[in-house]
Amino acid sequence: MKLFEATHTFFYDWSQVSAANWRKYPNANCPHVVAIDVLDRHVDPETGVLRTERLITCHQTIPGMLNRMCGGCTISYAREVSEIDPQNKVLKMTSCNLSMNHLINVTETVTYTEDPTNLSRTLFKQEARIKCGESISRFAGYIENFFIQRFRDNAAQGRKGFENVLMGQGEAA
Amino acid sequence: MSQSIGSQCNELKKEYDACFNKWYSEKFLKGDIRPECEELFKKYKDCVMVAVKQKQIDKLLVEARKDDPFTSSSSENKGKS
Repeated sequence: MKLFEATHTFFYDWSQVSAANWRKYPNANCPHVVAIDVLDRHVDPETGVLRTERLITCHQTIPGMLNRMCGGCTISYAREVSEIDPQNKVLKMTSCNLSMNHLINVTETVTYTEDPTNLSRTLFKQEARIKCGESISRFAGYIENFFIQRFRDNAAQGRKGFENVLMGQGEAA
Repeated sequence: MSQSIGSQCNELKKEYDACFNKWYSEKFLKGDIRPECEELFKKYKDCVMVAVKQKQIDKLLVEARKDDPFTSSSSENKGKS
């Protein structure tokens, strides 16, 4: 199992960031995200928390070995469940791969919270866990390292892309 | 607006997303949690589910929901109390 972690501070308040989160794609910095669909969504009447289930469609190359095992799958799917608590100003998203999950498990958790020391800023935390299944455990080191690097690259691009969305939102407001 | 997995659903998605984003900023974040855009969501979702079935993602979703069901936390708590 390999772990990737990253943190970042956005210089926008939580409301702006949480609204921009729904407008992040399409994004020139993240061309691998080709489609996003909402599968289910509701507000819990007791807690006021908005829960959303989305299907993320990605198009990105993968190591040759994995590609052969899954029969040339450059399109992959992930399921994302998010919870937004507007009272406590917390946005939490968890995504898991749907494709190839007999070979590998990739779970990503992202949170956006209000910076308690500066309410006009938002703290971002990202964590990804990558674990290969038994059938490919011999290659686990290689494959897990590949996905960690992929996460690092995508995360850096994703932050840049999100900053652009936030900037555009500020201009539009 | 991002694309939908079903190209035939793009227009429906666009309408729903526009409605939701407006509701999110103007109502939800200001404390009004009454749902809106339900009709648009139903039409869009019906379209998406056809594409999801065609691409055989429905089975993958059923499996994923076994590990992590999509239910509200309060209804889980109700079950336990």
